[in-house]
Amino acid sequence: MRHFERQPDGALRAELDAEEAVLLQSLAGQVSELVADAALRRAQGASEDAAVARLLPDAYPDDSEASAEFRRFTESGLAERKVANAEVVIRSLAGAGVTGSVTLDEAEALSWLRCLTDIRLTIASRFGIETEDDEAGRSIDPLMREIYDWLGFVQNSLIEALDDVVARG
Amino acid sequence: MLQVHLEGKSVVATGSREEMERHVEAMHDYGLWATLTKADA
Repeated sequence: MRHFERQPDGALRAELDAEEAVLLQSLAGQVSELVADAALRRAQGASEDAAVARLLPDAYPDDSEASAEFRRFTESGLAERKVANAEVVIRSLAGAGVTGSVTLDEAEALSWLRCLTDIRLTIASRFGIETEDDEAGRSIDPLMREIYDWLGFVQNSLIEALDDVVARG
Repeated sequence: MLQVHLEGKSVVATGSREEMERHVEAMHDYGLWATLTKADA
């Protein structure tokens, strides 16, 4: 994948391989399922997954009753918005295997940034990446750590492209 | 933000429960680990 670049029409475009597009779609889909099923699994009495606990955290760490009430009013909306962000990522990559590129408008780019954050938080919580240490989690799963770094690159390049308003001129 | 970086957490806002819960929900949208603590009256 090359970094995102602001196009003359304001769109954000990056070149990427078909394999990268499939990987990103798969990760977005998995995070989407994770948050979509969270309430159901909790209702069934399943123990809380570390990634879910990070994506949909307790609002009151010291007060389980208040946390449950906060969840009752906010969790389905939060989960729906995370699922919607993932769907934007998956949909925008639909033609990437053929064109070798992905083009986003600003609204799609913001969904991408939020979804990339959710994916990275999920990987980090599963592999114990809690600091800026470049080696954290690498011994557990070197490939996943590579993917985590790559997602950070994609996210950073998208932020820089969004910041680049000069190219719109 | 520096306090978050150095200490892992920081108080970013205080106010009524309803108002703060709205902020926390918005921050959860961005993947931020926002929590609430009741202040002593």
